Amino acid sequence: MIERSRFRFDGHLLLVWAAPLTITAIFVWIVGGVLLHGLDQLSWSYLVEAPRRAGRQGGIGPILVSTLLIVSVCLAVAIPLALGAALLLAEFVPRRSTGARIVRLSLDVLAGVPSIVFGLFGSAFFCSLLGLRFSILSGGLTLACMILPVLIRTIEQSLRGVPNAYRMGAAALGLTRTRAIVTVLLPVAAPGVLVGVLLGVGRAVAETAALIFTSGYVDRMPSSVLDSGRALSVHIFDLSLNVPGGDAAAYRASIVLLLLLMLINGGMLCIHSLLKRVMGISAQI
Amino acid sequence: MIRAISFPFRKGRSFLALSVMALLSVAASAHAAETIVLTGSSTVAPLMAEIGKRFEETHPNLRIDVQTGGSSRGVRDARAGLADIGMVSRPLTDSERDLTAFTLAYDGVAFILHKSNPVKTLTRQQIIDIFTGKVRDWSEIGPGRGTIVVENKAEGRSTLELFLTHFDIKSSDVKAAVVVGDNQEAIKVIAGNPLAIGYVSIGSAVTEAGLGVPIKPLPMDGVEATIDAVKQKRFPLVRELNLVVRKQPEGVVKEFIAYAQSDQVTDLVKDLYYVPVGH
Repeated sequence: MIERSRFRFDGHLLLVWAAPLTITAIFVWIVGGVLLHGLDQLSWSYLVEAPRRAGRQGGIGPILVSTLLIVSVCLAVAIPLALGAALLLAEFVPRRSTGARIVRLSLDVLAGVPSIVFGLFGSAFFCSLLGLRFSILSGGLTLACMILPVLIRTIEQSLRGVPNAYRMGAAALGLTRTRAIVTVLLPVAAPGVLVGVLLGVGRAVAETAALIFTSGYVDRMPSSVLDSGRALSVHIFDLSLNVPGGDAAAYRASIVLLLLLMLINGGMLCIHSLLKRVMGISAQI
Repeated sequence: MIRAISFPFRKGRSFLALSVMALLSVAASAHAAETIVLTGSSTVAPLMAEIGKRFEETHPNLRIDVQTGGSSRGVRDARAGLADIGMVSRPLTDSERDLTAFTLAYDGVAFILHKSNPVKTLTRQQIIDIFTGKVRDWSEIGPGRGTIVVENKAEGRSTLELFLTHFDIKSSDVKAAVVVGDNQEAIKVIAGNPLAIGYVSIGSAVTEAGLGVPIKPLPMDGVEATIDAVKQKRFPLVRELNLVVRKQPEGVVKEFIAYAQSDQVTDLVKDLYYVPVGH
């Protein structure tokens, strides 16, 4: 009897460990494979030079610049909009009101829409209707539409996580609602907001389908956000599918994309823990 | 109280005005140069992007923007005037006769065997049987014996697309022992395995065989796999890579199309394993 239960215990432990081990193994396999195939020719000049021979030689300088510009446009538009919408949902509208429910439902539906649909929407709306054509601006705005649902919902959740005592305390001190939001609620919710932004950036940097038809394919150094600019993920897609002999270059670009994502995530996590410490102290006072 | 509310608004408005002004000034500078826009086939796009870059070198005030989206988009955009030139990786159909096509290059597929394989030719049905796994041994076909090693291309490759369309088989029906990404890799596999069969872009097959790599391009429907057969449109597994325009091109667009068909870009065409129209 004892023997049997111990055996079962071990079995469960094995099962519990199997899940994280499988995930880690898959991660190591993917990253290892990419590193193995592309690490040998990675250098500083690769990061700054312009691509040659359809990307098989040269670097990815203009593509990196375009990618960062697209993500910047996306965040510059998405963060203020998401903050506004989340504040409305969390602070101003009764939670169970019909309006709020409809907004929340539509956001959840939008969050599940495949990115290619956002790409086609962006192509029709920003590129054609608004006349922005293939441009970094079109791409960034399309990405903003794509990450808005996730961003709004995470920010709303973190605002809801702020204890009600804070709101009452602010009201007792005679702060206006705006002031209470700016000086009390937003700072306390900031770490949560950052997590939302992190999720959004992750999706935006890795996006291909939504960008092919909006920010486009041109791999020249962009001179403004109205120029077409190729995103890193589009570059990898093109090298691995449309350029014969482009596999090695695709792996090389994938390493840069992985590094970029890790850099952004790492940086944001640092700010996150810093914010949490600062806010934790202020909350105690 | 009123000051507290109106202050951020005023600040916001001036910021908005500033950013609009910045955008407009940027927009004005961006449209200073003349731009030729190409959209369409993703197979043609890398080639046109390279040709465009070379053309820009001699035309400093011109920009050539290449965008993808597929052949049908190339037709649609050229027709609607959204693009100056459409890129189409097939001949124009009867309903597209309102457009004019300029053939830029050919993309062909040839089947290759190891040089020591005694098989001289394969019929259409034999190729289908081999790739769908109905025939598994060379002895079932003719001279030679041993298990056939079928080599297929990875999903999304233009050669795979051409192969599947031509033989009217589904991608999921292909029983492959090896799946490779590009032509070079495919040729390496065949050159290293006397029992293997695969297909590569005809440009690379003929070039590599000419360089002494132990591979043998097979004739198709009795037509030898040669560059000339491709150019004369006699070889069956070939598609045209076309530039299409709505009306007769003028000025710099005309100049650019002529440049893209000229000998000055032959090296760029060959570098992507296509067969140039010129010599």
